[in-house]
Amino acid sequence: MCWVCDAYGDPKYGTGLWYLNPRNHSRQMYKLRKPSDKAKAFGEDPESQGSRRLQEIMEMRFGDPRRFAQMVEETNANPGGGLLQIGQVLPLKDAILVAELAYPVAAMMCICRKDMRAIEETNEHEYSCTGLGVGMLKWERWPERYRGGVNFMSPDEAKEWLTKWDKKGLVHLIMTFGGSYAGGICNCDYPDCISIRRRLDYGFTEQCLKSHYVAVVDYDVCNGCGICVQRCQFGALKFEVTTNKANIDPFRCFGCGLCETGCPRGAISLVDRVSLPALREVW
Amino acid sequence: MDIYPRIEIDHSKCTAPFDCKKCLQACPTAVFHVEAVKVEKYRETDKKEPGTYVLSSPYRDKCTVCNKCIEVCPVDAITITVPEEVKP
Repeated sequence: MCWVCDAYGDPKYGTGLWYLNPRNHSRQMYKLRKPSDKAKAFGEDPESQGSRRLQEIMEMRFGDPRRFAQMVEETNANPGGGLLQIGQVLPLKDAILVAELAYPVAAMMCICRKDMRAIEETNEHEYSCTGLGVGMLKWERWPERYRGGVNFMSPDEAKEWLTKWDKKGLVHLIMTFGGSYAGGICNCDYPDCISIRRRLDYGFTEQCLKSHYVAVVDYDVCNGCGICVQRCQFGALKFEVTTNKANIDPFRCFGCGLCETGCPRGAISLVDRVSLPALREVW
Repeated sequence: MDIYPRIEIDHSKCTAPFDCKKCLQACPTAVFHVEAVKVEKYRETDKKEPGTYVLSSPYRDKCTVCNKCIEVCPVDAITITVPEEVKP
């Protein structure tokens, strides 16, 4: 189990996986502004303040790289410290379980694609991010930059929707918004996904934890077609010329399962991370 | 010491980056970032109106100076300078 499961999981549900604990999807976990508190001005809400502090740290790359490396280490050593949201990669099957558990589930625009690539997603055919839980009902009160409308989905529609993005090759990443409240399942793409980028480029682990699975290749079934190679966003999968098969580096694998869902022969499967002693603590 | 390429964006030329979006999509390492700076009554305004969105380059440490952004920029608003210390 990862540290998020230790802190927020419940063995009664989903074998202790934190994102299958109904508590992390419950209305009570959603932070509402108390009627007595005045609304914070634009840029003064906790979210902007947190991101400003993170921005200060990110700026250290240019002036003081050594201090920056130190800050990354400190942040990673203090998981749940609140500087970053908690995020974890999910394979499609677990993303679907979450979509069945959470209510409501809605498609919405992706803020990373908007910020980094100026992609405008304005209707249900364009939306690529999944919002979870009661916060979706209040979308009109969100900060403007997230407010591109929402499209509510039934569990079956959500399943179809997540499968669509999985087919296109996007990584599912469950994100928390305030404590352990699971607020969404992003469908991500490096480098415009800020969470994957913070992990791969800068070494922050918290916002993009590896999933509870690792992909393994069945060498008897793999025929070396190479379709899986282009689907790996983490540089874990290569085509090994020597053996004429796909080769997955388990230490680099994030367990997103894109290679598994993309394999036409079903040669790749996901095994529990904790079943492999060397990977038990690799998150 | 700041050894990374410096990306200067002339905001008097680059006035509607969210509408143009050429450099944002051409950059192989996604160096650029665009953000609304004019929010009226909690709403972002017309992306074609000059000055409503502003372009920045927060990930310039990933810039390889391939100059793709300069090539695609229709208003020549981008200049990239490499610090003397790291020039080949």
